[in-house]
Amino acid sequence: MRRLLLILWLALPLRAADIRVYAAASLTDALQEIATTYERQSGDRIRFNFGGSSVLARQIEHGAPADVFLSADEEKMNALERRGLILASTRVSVLSNTLVVVGDNIRNVHDLANARRIALAEPSSVPAGIYAREYLRKAGVWQRIAPKVVPTESVRAALAAVASGNVDAAIVYRTDALSSKRLRIAYEVPRAVGPRISYPFALVKGAKPRATRFLTYLRSPAARAVFARHGFLTL
Amino acid sequence: MTSEIIFLTLRTAAVATLVIVPPGLAVAWLLARRSWRGKSLVETLVALPLVMPPVATGLILLQLFGRRGPIGGWLHSLGIDVVFTTKAVILAMAVMSFPLLVRAARVAFEEVNPRLEQIARTLGASDTRVFVTITLPLAARGIVSGMLLAFARALGEFGATILVAGNIPGETSTLSLSIYNLVQLGRDDEAFQLLAVSVVIAFGAVWLAEMTLRKTAAKP
Amino acid sequence: MSVRIDGVVLPLAPFALEVTAELSARATAITGPSGAGKTSLLEVIAGLRKPTRGAVAIHERVVFDREQRIDVPARARRVGYVPQDDALFPHLSVRRNILYSGATMSIEDVVAVLEIEPLLERGVKHLSGGERKRVALARALLSRPEVLLLDEPLAGVDPDLRRRVLDYLVRVRDEFPIPIVYVTHDDEEAAHICDEALLLERGRVVRRVSL
Repeated sequence: MRRLLLILWLALPLRAADIRVYAAASLTDALQEIATTYERQSGDRIRFNFGGSSVLARQIEHGAPADVFLSADEEKMNALERRGLILASTRVSVLSNTLVVVGDNIRNVHDLANARRIALAEPSSVPAGIYAREYLRKAGVWQRIAPKVVPTESVRAALAAVASGNVDAAIVYRTDALSSKRLRIAYEVPRAVGPRISYPFALVKGAKPRATRFLTYLRSPAARAVFARHGFLTL
Repeated sequence: MTSEIIFLTLRTAAVATLVIVPPGLAVAWLLARRSWRGKSLVETLVALPLVMPPVATGLILLQLFGRRGPIGGWLHSLGIDVVFTTKAVILAMAVMSFPLLVRAARVAFEEVNPRLEQIARTLGASDTRVFVTITLPLAARGIVSGMLLAFARALGEFGATILVAGNIPGETSTLSLSIYNLVQLGRDDEAFQLLAVSVVIAFGAVWLAEMTLRKTAAKP
Repeated sequence: MSVRIDGVVLPLAPFALEVTAELSARATAITGPSGAGKTSLLEVIAGLRKPTRGAVAIHERVVFDREQRIDVPARARRVGYVPQDDALFPHLSVRRNILYSGATMSIEDVVAVLEIEPLLERGVKHLSGGERKRVALARALLSRPEVLLLDEPLAGVDPDLRRRVLDYLVRVRDEFPIPIVYVTHDDEEAAHICDEALLLERGRVVRRVSL
């Protein structure tokens, strides 16, 4: 009986698998759509853990069970690669994004600097926050804005804070703003002024073999089309 | 999704409660029936998770059970990772509920008349037999009520869990963690559903605990 | 010689129990005012308290000897101890109480002498004071003790019932060949049951009388 169980267990990865995907919160909507199609085609089950990339990277660092990591900045992926926690050969960057400001009665960066409370993803660790801080520094208003920042665990939480009216404004990705029907984009940070945003993907060390297929699928024309429809720039 | 969260929460809380029963009863019995060196130290240690900020307890657990921690490192070399897995949820719940079980069981043991245990011994019973046939049955109600309280505490565990287990859907996202996450993401409607569920479960557990205790009190 | 107590010292507040005595009668009374150390002496014999000095033997079998580091645990001393509060197990029926020692001998004799047949299936919570005493006696007798230690068996028994319980005690004494150590503060009671009495005061035997 025990041997039978062992054989079954060993056989499992060859059949349908649960693939654990740790993904930046900004990818939530696009990935859920892609996963629905993929699950139907492959029979695998995709289990997501969405959050700020910094939180996810820390979890992977401590051995949380992950197969695929989709980060919102290169820095987090670099840190894991230095520790040998991802399969470097599978690393690839295929998406980009832009920052937007959401909030009422804001037309430019000076209006933003006058807002009372501004939600940002945690500006020293979460990618969206780091990008936003970089932009505000370049624009020369970071000193004025810093005391008014409400830091959140992920960019999605910053979006929710402004949607609920609990803060006056937030800096989020364009794709997040597009996902909310209630929010209007106040203004978009021009790509020339804003930071370079890129999303690296990679398999985590010890990933299930079946996870490779999903990572490949994320670069397929079908998946790219979904990302594009949600407002991502595909490279 | 909701049922998955409820099931995960009930399962981890139940496992945590069962896991602490043997050590909890042992410690409670030693505190109730024996005097030994270092007893007050153990008493304080056991009560600590009740009074410390849960996040501080979580940080201690993270340090101990992380991959580079003294216990976690050893477990890792055996191929077992704890932090940020369901095991970590159970660990956090167990540590946070332990004091409640020990307190209830200790009071229950203390209320058993030691005379009965002595007489059982003069009738030829070994220490084990005395414990199983006299002490345990007479303390049973208090112990069960303590288990229910521990279970209710485990259901609501948040601070230690989020540090040591993270908030990973299907893996470590219990009711409390899911509620936190949903509120953060502005999905208040779903959060309220889970809130209702946790109120019902906690109410049930505490009510059962009260009922078992009341029956004891009614005994002549 | 049923019980020999040799130079036993047990500190009690505010004095110490210091006893040397041979209890060799069929029934020996330990009398004296309350707080004289009577119950403590029974507990020393039963193995529930450890003297700091001295030795105890039951039928020439040494069960405690401080010098030789002999200390037979209570469960192996074969004493039938009936404490003042009966200490019946409240969660067990009368039958399971009296069978607790796992007696293999037939219970009929004991049940008949003490007339507890109609009580056997009852819970102990619903027994009267006199019934409780009889059940506690039966439980002690069925553990096949070498000595019966009775601590104030009539304490807490209704005055009307004292006579009847006393009769049962006499029957136990006469029907079963087990020496009795009988703690009481009532001289009349002692005279009724016992052949000899030790008067204990502040932890010491001050007089020994034949009754």
